[in-house]
Amino acid sequence: MSRQPETLEALLARFRYRPDEESGGLTELPTATVEPDQPKGADALQLLTFGLGTAEYGVALGTVTEILRARPLTEIPRARPPLLGVLNLRGTITPVYDPSLRLGLPVNAPPCAGPDCPRPPRPARILVVRTVLGPAGLWVDRVRGVQRARPAELERPRGGPTGGVLGVLPTAEGTCTVVDPEWLLR
Amino acid sequence: MSAELQAIDVCAFWVGPAIYGIDVARVDEILPRVVPLPVADAPAHVEGVVHVHGTAVPIVDLRRLLPAGTPPRTAKPKVILARLGRRRVGLRVDGMAGVRRYTTGEIRPGDAVPGVLGVTADECRLLDLRELLAEPAAARRAGL
Repeated sequence: MSRQPETLEALLARFRYRPDEESGGLTELPTATVEPDQPKGADALQLLTFGLGTAEYGVALGTVTEILRARPLTEIPRARPPLLGVLNLRGTITPVYDPSLRLGLPVNAPPCAGPDCPRPPRPARILVVRTVLGPAGLWVDRVRGVQRARPAELERPRGGPTGGVLGVLPTAEGTCTVVDPEWLLR
Repeated sequence: MSAELQAIDVCAFWVGPAIYGIDVARVDEILPRVVPLPVADAPAHVEGVVHVHGTAVPIVDLRRLLPAGTPPRTAKPKVILARLGRRRVGLRVDGMAGVRRYTTGEIRPGDAVPGVLGVTADECRLLDLRELLAEPAAARRAGL
């Protein structure tokens, strides 16, 4: 008889709802929480894709602050690749780099700095990216657009990550290599 | 010594020929008509998921976890949207039987059915929802 209230107490404790109660045994149920789901595609990567030569590359859209039409740069005496020159971006001196060298592409860029440089080709663009040292420019041959991708769609490079190459994304036209813009500048 | 009587509020519902009850504090909503989206590889008692106000909620068919039988004619099938800790789960039942208040004196310990904690004087079986739905025992009970 004396056991009865105790049992009932334990029984009620299991019956009553507590927000912090364990629900870990339900591992095979699809998880659902009290909070609403993330909006669709919230985990999607947004990649700004650009071309260098015949290859396509992509960087995370959030790292690019603006895209400029390529313009003649101010030359830096004895500048060595990949530094092409500097740009006065609304009062901020912005170095502009050629990503080809870092990506192992042939560097055959015509001089694009100094008073005698030819007019840059029409599709050429400068991507202004944010770095810890301030803005920096990346000279690219063309900008294609913004592509959305899920992280799972990225194919990781074989044999582990190599430098700043984050992965390769299959696209309708071929492949798009996703790179870390900071690595291109290093 | 006399145990202090406590009142509990129970959301009661029909599953088969019996009335079961869960803590009313667990219940968020009663949905009249739900067509779940099937989930591949789900246990037999999980019908699928539905989107309720932007949240995907699994729907569990309690009729597969509790003894089968014919519910009363007047019962209308519903889905009870219940809370389990921070999770939510939809419970498919044969019909609602209202909210009832019991005192602890009216409850006697449960019978042999797994997941049933106690039975009230008017034969409402109080469920331990967490035990009832815990894997893999629930999947085993659902058969297959």
